[in-house]
Amino acid sequence: MSSEVAGYRAQADSIREAFERKFERFARFLNKRINGENVVDVTEFNLSLEEAQAELRALSDLETWYVGRKSQLSALKKLIGKVSPEERSGFGQYLLLTQIAGTDKIAEVESNLQSYIWKKRSERERVDVTLPGRRPRRGHLHPITQLRQRIEDIFVSMGYAVEDGPEVETDFYNFTALNIPELHPARSPQDTFYTTGGLSLRSQTSTVQVHAMQRRRPPLRVIAPGRVFRRDTPDATHNPMFFQVEGLLVERGVQMGHLKGTLSEFVRRLFGAGTRTRFRPSYFPFTEPSMEADYSCFKCNGAGCRLCKGSGWIELGGSGMVHPNVLRAARINPDEFSGFAFGLGIDRMCGLMYELDDIRLLFENDVRFLEQF
Amino acid sequence: MEISYNWLRELTDVSLPPRELAERLTMAGLAVDAVREAGEDFVLEFDLTSNRPDCLSHLGIAREAAALAGVGVRLPELTAKNVAGRAEEFTSVEIEDARLCPRYAARVVRGVKVAPSPEWLARRLQAIGQRPINNVADITNFVLHELGQPLHAFDLAKLTERRIVVRRARAGERIRTLDGAERELDTQMLVIADAARAVAVAGVMGGEETEISVATTDVLVESAYFDPQSVRRTSKALGLQTDASYRFERGVDYEGVRRAQDRSVALICEIAGGAATVDAIDVYPRRIEPPVVHLRPSRVEELTGLQVPAGESARILESLGFTPVAAGDDAEGKLFFSAPTWRTDVSIEEDLVEEVARLVGYEKIGESLPPSPVTGEYLAGDRRRRAARQVLTACGLSEAVNISFIDESNEGRFELLPGLQRVEGEGAFVKLSNPVVEGARLMRPTLLPGLLDSVRHNFNRGTRSVRLFETGRVFASSAEGDETASGEVETASDDIGKTAAGEGGGRPNEVEAFALVLTGEALEEGRAGGRELDFFDLKGALEAATDAMRVGELQFAPAAVRHLREGQSARILFGGAEVGALGRLDEDLAAAYKFRQPVYVAEVNLGALLAAGERPVRYAPLPRFPSVVRDVSLLAPRRAAFSEMRRAILSLGLEECRGVSLVDVYEGANVPEGKRSLTLRVEYRADDRTLRDEEVDSMHARVVAALEDKFGAQLRG
Ligand SMILES: [Zn+2]
Repeated sequence: MSSEVAGYRAQADSIREAFERKFERFARFLNKRINGENVVDVTEFNLSLEEAQAELRALSDLETWYVGRKSQLSALKKLIGKVSPEERSGFGQYLLLTQIAGTDKIAEVESNLQSYIWKKRSERERVDVTLPGRRPRRGHLHPITQLRQRIEDIFVSMGYAVEDGPEVETDFYNFTALNIPELHPARSPQDTFYTTGGLSLRSQTSTVQVHAMQRRRPPLRVIAPGRVFRRDTPDATHNPMFFQVEGLLVERGVQMGHLKGTLSEFVRRLFGAGTRTRFRPSYFPFTEPSMEADYSCFKCNGAGCRLCKGSGWIELGGSGMVHPNVLRAARINPDEFSGFAFGLGIDRMCGLMYELDDIRLLFENDVRFLEQF
Repeated sequence: MEISYNWLRELTDVSLPPRELAERLTMAGLAVDAVREAGEDFVLEFDLTSNRPDCLSHLGIAREAAALAGVGVRLPELTAKNVAGRAEEFTSVEIEDARLCPRYAARVVRGVKVAPSPEWLARRLQAIGQRPINNVADITNFVLHELGQPLHAFDLAKLTERRIVVRRARAGERIRTLDGAERELDTQMLVIADAARAVAVAGVMGGEETEISVATTDVLVESAYFDPQSVRRTSKALGLQTDASYRFERGVDYEGVRRAQDRSVALICEIAGGAATVDAIDVYPRRIEPPVVHLRPSRVEELTGLQVPAGESARILESLGFTPVAAGDDAEGKLFFSAPTWRTDVSIEEDLVEEVARLVGYEKIGESLPPSPVTGEYLAGDRRRRAARQVLTACGLSEAVNISFIDESNEGRFELLPGLQRVEGEGAFVKLSNPVVEGARLMRPTLLPGLLDSVRHNFNRGTRSVRLFETGRVFASSAEGDETASGEVETASDDIGKTAAGEGGGRPNEVEAFALVLTGEALEEGRAGGRELDFFDLKGALEAATDAMRVGELQFAPAAVRHLREGQSARILFGGAEVGALGRLDEDLAAAYKFRQPVYVAEVNLGALLAAGERPVRYAPLPRFPSVVRDVSLLAPRRAAFSEMRRAILSLGLEECRGVSLVDVYEGANVPEGKRSLTLRVEYRADDRTLRDEEVDSMHARVVAALEDKFGAQLRG
């Protein structure tokens, strides 16, 4: 070995020694060898986040000092070319080993410090995931609207068109066309609201029957949801206004089996596939034959409970084959077309479904009530 | 109505146990609400439909039960034990108004002894909730419940001249009825009178002066058929409903008049002793004929789907008391039946179909869905209504539903939607002549009073943050020959009202409206204390809703509005037409409602918005080059409207100027009186290149200059 190279090597050795001294403060961040495995427990570092970041910067400075472009080691590397060809490779090798001895340690410490810093930072930025989400208070659709939309969806899917009619009606549509005779109690001002102009507030959505038949000719299927009015003094079970859905179908060859099938299909879709129905003869002026439909109680499934007053059945509403006089009022020939009609009470269904103890709640608009739906 | 099971079994051989019988009757249309055990007996509680007055007695229910079970009905003993003399020897009957009294029969029993009823009779009455009085009164009551015919017993000796006159009451005539009340009658009312005065209100209640007492020896038993409507009117006018009036006003069996009378007379002779006249005076000038109704046997299947052979239909009808009538030559296979005289509800073929179907059983009707020749559809605009509701709930508003009539005091306090407003004045509104809640006579011409009542309701219950919306109809009278207000609810009546006046004429305008109310804080779930809501929360919610409905952009013009506070109110314009108003509730109104915090309200003509059609969705290619934004901060007069500034910038004709948005607006400290500080952000973008800084600078300089020029704004550092 030439003395020149020997001197260079000695210089390299002293640089490395100086590095080792400078590195001592970082030694505690190195991995430990336990049972032949490299392990590190960064929690033992015992530094604040800021201290750890300072250590990392100091480490980076040390790396620059040791292997940076302007470092003594880099200066030595530039001399490699000046060394004789036969010694060049050995000298180059020596410098590389010297360098690696330092950079390996630096890399190890850097990695350990970095993961310590991540850990510390995560700790500091930890959130209480159980705090309330930033969730704007949403509003709620009125339960009557929700139920009404479900009912509309079911019937539209069964081929019905949704219809509408005036809420302030003439005697003709509210009574006469519905085959309600002149002196029927339903017409009395005890039961029906009248305007000072002699019109009445519709007392059932059946008024839309004749409007619909006049507007659309058969075959037709319509439902008409809407407000109706009866002169009841408000109490826990009555409101002077409530919501109904009227259904009407006029086609050739329609009979009561179709009406039964339709109402059964409806309650199965609304209350579940297992819902049963029962049909009893009844009386309404605008249908003949008439029937009352009951469905098995959704709460007790027909076993009998408080909701269904122990009977297992809940009244769905009135229905029947459209009275020939009603068809005639719409200028439809009852021998050519037959039809069925039914009426459902939305509020009443709502009251049962949610077990409302006071039906007046529906129109008080207490937000504590509305927000439950 | 209550029916004793044991009593029923005296009239028919039905052997079904009580609960099973109740079930069968219910499924045949005679709804039994409850079956109650009463000692050795059972009581069935019926809830009958109004078309079946014939079932308001044990005989009526027995007929139905017998038809269902295929057994017979047994009439009770009608023959009096002890008879002497003819009725005309002791009394006379004169009917002055045969329209109101088609039939009146009087029979006399002399020498009775009025006493308490025997135990069996008292028990029968008690079983169905009736209170025994004395044997004669109890017998008439018993027969009413047995056969359904109301009867009345007079003390013959107390009838002036011992005669009966059926006539209308005289003006101002009075009577003290059995309940002790002194009643004034009117000339529409039918009374039973003697030679001097009214002694009973016909079909409703007897008079006290001729009542049976322990001193009575001679009894006149009245059995009659009164006009149902006349009895209903009288009963209602007097506010007096009795077991008798209940039955007469629904219709009794006009051929059962004598049977019930004979039954009661037989019982009186048996229980109270005495001798009955051999006959009755029965004034029945014009015999009532039951209707003859035809049935095409095929009609049963056509209407019910049940396949019932013609013979079986006939058998069922006969079991219910229908009598076959020989068909003429042109019968074409029709069967003809004379209806039983007690079945006042039967008049057409469909009635017979129902009789057959309910006896066969509705449960036998096979269920199927009708094959569909039509398709379903929602109400026009409903998809857009639903979209608006959805967005409003997402914005934190809940949906309210208020009653359609409001207190009259609201009249004139609110500015109405355009179209309703113009007919304001005397008679402009729809009012109820018979409100059920004191004062609530006005069919709401605006949704706002209802929503404000809801706000007050919530405040009173400790909720101070309330956000609600409502959709519903508002009403105003339609002037003669008036054009349909824009947005008026479209109904069939529109076509009908014009072609057939009288059927649809004179209806008011019904306009579909949409309203919002906001007050309190912007709430977050589970967190307390939010920002106070203001005008812009209201405006934003309204715009979000109309955007969801794909209505084109709304304009807001500052304006004075009756119910809104000056300076925080605007008219809402759409396509140049006014569609509503929004703003902060006026101080006077707020004070009237006792509101101590700002309340913001908006009301829009929803019908008009929906009628305007849907803004189409059009795709625009995405920009290929980036945009550059520049902010400009100005000190501008407060009256300089943002929308004007925005329009001024956009109308400079700078092709690359793409939009103006608000960064910040500030008034208060460090800003001179009458001014506000406003920061706008202007976006610049070219379609074919990236804009150079110098290009943007020169455009922005023009923007700033325009703002300084037009609005006297000063650039802020
Ligand atoms: Zn139940």
